[in-house]
Amino acid sequence: MYTVGQIASKFSVSRSTLLYYDTIGLLTPSGRSEANYRLYSDRDIARMEKIVMFRGAGLSLNAIMSLLDKEDDELHGTLERRLLDTNREIQALRNQQQVILSILGSDNALLNTRVITKEKWVALLRAAGLDEDGMLKWHMEFERTSPEAHQDFLESIGIDEEEIASIRHASKQAISHS
Amino acid sequence: MKNEAMNKTRWIELFRAIGLDDEAMADWHRAFEASYPNGHQSFLEWLDIPAEEIKAIRAA
Repeated sequence: MYTVGQIASKFSVSRSTLLYYDTIGLLTPSGRSEANYRLYSDRDIARMEKIVMFRGAGLSLNAIMSLLDKEDDELHGTLERRLLDTNREIQALRNQQQVILSILGSDNALLNTRVITKEKWVALLRAAGLDEDGMLKWHMEFERTSPEAHQDFLESIGIDEEEIASIRHASKQAISHS
Repeated sequence: MKNEAMNKTRWIELFRAIGLDDEAMADWHRAFEASYPNGHQSFLEWLDIPAEEIKAIRAA
């Protein structure tokens, strides 16, 4: 049997957390010492391991409490719901990020963007001395040597499906005429 | 941005094929770095270039 202190240090939680878990009936120590101190069994430890795991997944103590006494099916459903919740939370955070970026100002956001759009690419290639013909030739070579990467690249700079198809078609035409 | 078939060597071949020489490519990196430093970083990562080399290219 283990004392509150031993369990607390084993799971890196505070003693008051363990006492609280006892108060709400989430983890009740199986025994008491002669001096009436709480004593935890190996079964209690196994239960605590599950509690810690579910806490890590973000489940509330109430959810954990009802889970621990139920079938695996219920566990599955609860975890799936939690997964959907986390997805929603991530989406909400992404939206917040967008708002923050727009508040920080468009100049700053532009300089910090990791996304280079079509217009920016065209400007960069022009700066390197490429004219329209040079760019068509570039697409042609891209298509000829690495068609999949060409597709990936065009998607990554935010060009829509239809325009990608037309660019790649023109590239293929240029290849067959070269 | 996933990258299955593109790397630094191929990209350079591509640029050479369209007539860009070393100097034009250096200009292009400088323009990229000056206008969109983070986009430049992302692009170099996309080409699977090691972190040390990316640093050197961006500092050039």
